Amino acid sequence: MNGVVVAETVRRCVTSIAYWAFVALLAIISLGLARFDRPGTAWPSLVSLLAYIIGCTAIGPEFSSGTLQLILTKPVNRSVYLVSRVAGVVSAIWIAALIAFSFELLGRVLWVGAVRLDIIGAILINTFVDTLLICALLVFFASFTRAYFNIVIYMVLMIGLGVAQGMVSMFRSMSGTLGAWLATHDIVDRILASINSNLFPDAPPRLDWHWLLMIASNAAIAIVAACFIFRRREVPYGAD
Amino acid sequence: MSRSLPRAERGVQVRALKKSFGSHAVLQGIDLDVAPGEVVGLIGPNGAGKTTLMSCLLAFLHPNAGEITIDGLPNDDLRVRRRTGFVPERMNFDRRATGYSFLRYMAGLARVGNRETKVRAMLERLGIAGAADRRLSQYSRGMLQRIGMCQALIHDPDFLFLDEPTSGLDPNGVLLVRDLIAEQKQRGAAVLLNSHQLAEVGKVCDRVFFLNRGVIGREETLRHADRIVIAITMLPGFDANAIARIAGNAPKENVVIATVETEADIAQMVREVIATGAGVIDVRKHTADLEGIFRGVA
Ligand SMILES: Nc1ncnc2c1ncn2[C@@H]1O[C@H](COP(=O)(O)OP(=O)(O)O)[C@@H](O)[C@H]1O
Ligand SMILES: [Mg+2]
Repeated sequence: MNGVVVAETVRRCVTSIAYWAFVALLAIISLGLARFDRPGTAWPSLVSLLAYIIGCTAIGPEFSSGTLQLILTKPVNRSVYLVSRVAGVVSAIWIAALIAFSFELLGRVLWVGAVRLDIIGAILINTFVDTLLICALLVFFASFTRAYFNIVIYMVLMIGLGVAQGMVSMFRSMSGTLGAWLATHDIVDRILASINSNLFPDAPPRLDWHWLLMIASNAAIAIVAACFIFRRREVPYGAD
Repeated sequence: MSRSLPRAERGVQVRALKKSFGSHAVLQGIDLDVAPGEVVGLIGPNGAGKTTLMSCLLAFLHPNAGEITIDGLPNDDLRVRRRTGFVPERMNFDRRATGYSFLRYMAGLARVGNRETKVRAMLERLGIAGAADRRLSQYSRGMLQRIGMCQALIHDPDFLFLDEPTSGLDPNGVLLVRDLIAEQKQRGAAVLLNSHQLAEVGKVCDRVFFLNRGVIGREETLRHADRIVIAITMLPGFDANAIARIAGNAPKENVVIATVETEADIAQMVREVIATGAGVIDVRKHTADLEGIFRGVA
């Protein structure tokens, strides 16, 4: 990890007005929705949205603009650079998550009086790990594409998986050989469901170490794979 | 600090370098050396492959064949990186960053000690200290070029790669860049300079290579750039062998080209040619400036 790169990445996020506008929105929503029964009503998905927005900028745009060339002539190992970028981006997202979390706590103290720290705390930790996976996947997709194609791949994959799962259950309910085959072989469903829960998981409502470990290791695998691809990758001038 | 690092001993070596994009063979066997304390210019028309060659040297691109070593090390070695400076053809960075914060980041990546002082000094030296706290989005092309020089020089590199360093610069900027290159040379850095502008290159380079159609067309040692080339035109019926012996070149059609050092040499050569019985009808001379050499190649 390169401290200079991490610090610069965080600095670039937290010096942007858009970032603070988003964080302010998060804070207001967390505070407001703390009146309701269900903890963590909206902010975890908004933090995921922030993870899409910031996470997709980690490598792709630098690759396209030629910024990467300036950096790669400096004595920084490419893998170290990539991991440091992820760390910086994830830190900026986690700061936002922490702020949202704090405002929900504040709201609960103000409006409700009782705080279920265990539940809200679990939501925070799940959000941490979930956003780490989002960034890891975005960086993985960026390691072999340019510009913002990583987020395009991510969305297409996520939506495509949902559509595929829907189509499989639709075909199964139909008569005919395909329907019959699918009815007796649930392997297709299981594969799709497994990919979905590994790449685009729904966080459990409480702390589940098994789930946390699975998501964290998926993120680690994505980052390691990204490093491997990125290390050998050509960085042509003005790729766009 | 970079100052305590050993200076370049062997410089940049390129052997039989080939690079293609798909079926488009851009570099077709390049041999090139840049010694420490030497400024080598690479000129050629747009699309000749100058940037591609530089990108291979900096390990942005993987060559299809050939070898690149820098001080005997592979060019992607981090020890080489630490002593490398690069000015890209066009500077690109987060446009919201100020000149100062950009340079600070670059200095941090290059592990420069005493960063603030160094950064301020570089900005001062390149004449953009006044714009230090402005955003890069407000910089002109020339100012970006200047800050590009700053980030390349801030760690006193031993290997300096400049891709069209004076494009977009005003005349003062061009002079400044020339001075800076001369300084780097004095320090013992090996400098490789890309350009399609001939006038700028000739003044600072020890040697110039002409890159054209994927090969290095000709190397000229500029120390001899002020020698004189003469073209002697003769009536038909001259003794071609005797003329070739005198001029060092075989005549083509009825013209022989020769290179001499002084004007006295011209007179001497013309006398010798006449002595063979040739009917000299015209003698033209011109200095072998880069422009002329380049036109002969391109
Ligand atoms: N990344 C790339 N992919 C495909 N072709 C490229 C790429 N980079 C350069 N080229 C081609 O290689 C040739 C040389 O380009 P370049 O090295 O930029 O020339 P120069 O810097 O001398 O103007 C051009 O024909 C250009 O179109
Ligand atoms: Mg070029």
